[in-house]
Amino acid sequence: MDLLIDSFRSAFLLMLSLDHELLVIVGCSLKVSGMATLLAALAGLPCGFVLSFASFPGKRLVITCLNTLLALPTVVIGLVVYAFISRRGILGALNLLYTQTAMVIGQVILIVPVIAVMTIAAIDRIDRRYRLTALTLGANRYQMAWMIFKEARFGVIAAVIAAFGRVIAEIGISMMLGGNARGFTRTMTTAMALEYDKGEFVLAVALGIVLMGFAFAVNMLFHLFQGRTGSDAL
Amino acid sequence: MLYELEAVTRVHGRRTVLDIPALSIPDGKIYSLIGPNGAGKTTLLHLLAFLDAPSTGTISFRSVPVRHTEKSLLPLRRQVVLLDQYPILFTGPVWKNLEFGLKIRKIERKKRKSLIEEALAQVGMQDFFYAQASTLSGGETKRVALARALAVRPRVLLCDEPTANVDGENQGVILDILERANREQGIAIVFATHSHSQAQRMSRQTLILKDGRLSDLLRDNVFMATIAGQSENGTVCSLQNGVEIRVPLAGTFASSCRIRLFLNPDHLIVLRESEAEGRDGLLAATVVMIASENGRIRITVDIGLPVHAILSRPEYARSRFTVGGKVFLCIGEKAVLIEEVFPLYRRQTGSVPLISDRSSSNR
Repeated sequence: MDLLIDSFRSAFLLMLSLDHELLVIVGCSLKVSGMATLLAALAGLPCGFVLSFASFPGKRLVITCLNTLLALPTVVIGLVVYAFISRRGILGALNLLYTQTAMVIGQVILIVPVIAVMTIAAIDRIDRRYRLTALTLGANRYQMAWMIFKEARFGVIAAVIAAFGRVIAEIGISMMLGGNARGFTRTMTTAMALEYDKGEFVLAVALGIVLMGFAFAVNMLFHLFQGRTGSDAL
Repeated sequence: MLYELEAVTRVHGRRTVLDIPALSIPDGKIYSLIGPNGAGKTTLLHLLAFLDAPSTGTISFRSVPVRHTEKSLLPLRRQVVLLDQYPILFTGPVWKNLEFGLKIRKIERKKRKSLIEEALAQVGMQDFFYAQASTLSGGETKRVALARALAVRPRVLLCDEPTANVDGENQGVILDILERANREQGIAIVFATHSHSQAQRMSRQTLILKDGRLSDLLRDNVFMATIAGQSENGTVCSLQNGVEIRVPLAGTFASSCRIRLFLNPDHLIVLRESEAEGRDGLLAATVVMIASENGRIRITVDIGLPVHAILSRPEYARSRFTVGGKVFLCIGEKAVLIEEVFPLYRRQTGSVPLISDRSSSNR
């Protein structure tokens, strides 16, 4: 118990002193996860929109596959991406392994299905009458889709926030593709794992607190948007 | 013709929810569409609004066959607006809702504002310009949705039960707005309703749907009859059950001609025995039902067939009718419409009359 209390005390002191190493690690986490979320949103939102609006053979199968990908373990993504970007892989010449770019690629693969599936859910939750109303008022397909997006915006933003929460807390991809290089690819989760291995709990606990702080902020945002969506639905 | 439907069906799964061999709807008037739940009213309105495509058959709009492609439908949809039974307003202020259709039509900002104000004034909601849509009551929502539809100046306005779930006061307001839009702006209106009296009040022509098919059996006081005799004083019509009615219309029908006799419930007069003394041409009847309907009183009397009459509340209060009471039915000239029976719709080709046209049949 003393160990835990001491660790917490030291961790707070570390945070209050704005420890350089701590800031670098947090900065790396935010940069990688932020970029991954941005790119995944650019891919996942249109994907979710198209799957919501389009009607084509095999649509259900595609959605089922996306739902299945939600359960994809990060180590599997790490392995697959590793196979492509390792020296022997077809993208080996790009020297991506153990870079932040490699981490971003892996994290994008992790959360594109999350964003797409949650976008589909957000749009499908919008009453069918919105579409019919937009069409009968003379909207073309794109104007109707834009109107639906505006109605579903809180659900869509919640999807992006949830995806960010997913990547900032993941460890498998960061460890396998980033390599946990100090000052370069060391993120909060990989640093915590390392510090734990070393038996140094202070930085691990400090990072854990920061991570939980971010997770709390993300969840607050998520519930805020969910609440807005819920009240709109009424 | 505004619309011409040819062998139109709409199938959901294995169920045919609409089957209209042929139908024509001329331009510029108000049409009512009557039928019970599940009769296919909404399906038909969606087809007429180009929001759905028929499973088989063709729809022509202004004599041009409709091609159900995105590119072809867009200009048609911009002439026709459907007002849903439970209209939904977009999130945001009322003016934004009305602006949607105008913005899409690339109407400039200043003009948009004046059109929005005009449309809101038309429905008596001018004070709600900046109100949030989510704060409106059911009746207000319907009126704003109606304003949103009228703001784009459509050629056709399709209304799916525009007075459903609306209090009596707002019902009257909505019907007045529709009548005015038709009269002043020339907007053709097709509206679905359960209420026979509303249909009779509003429309010159009535389409009746039952089980997805056009029917002529549902409207109040519509009787299939044959001409049993004619004179200068009137026409004797022979109805079902051996009932004969002399109506004060001098027709020029062929003897034994099949007709459709319509007795307008709004203009039938029900008299107590004391009021009937000394008057000719009255039909003895028994009151079999008294019911309240949209703020008025519907009295059903038995003359060998049930006949409905509509009274205002003050009239009813004065009359003191009771179920089982003996009364007399006075059928004035104003209450009677007769039309020769022609096929309701054709199977293959030929002209397609609507089932009743008060303006044309009132001779």
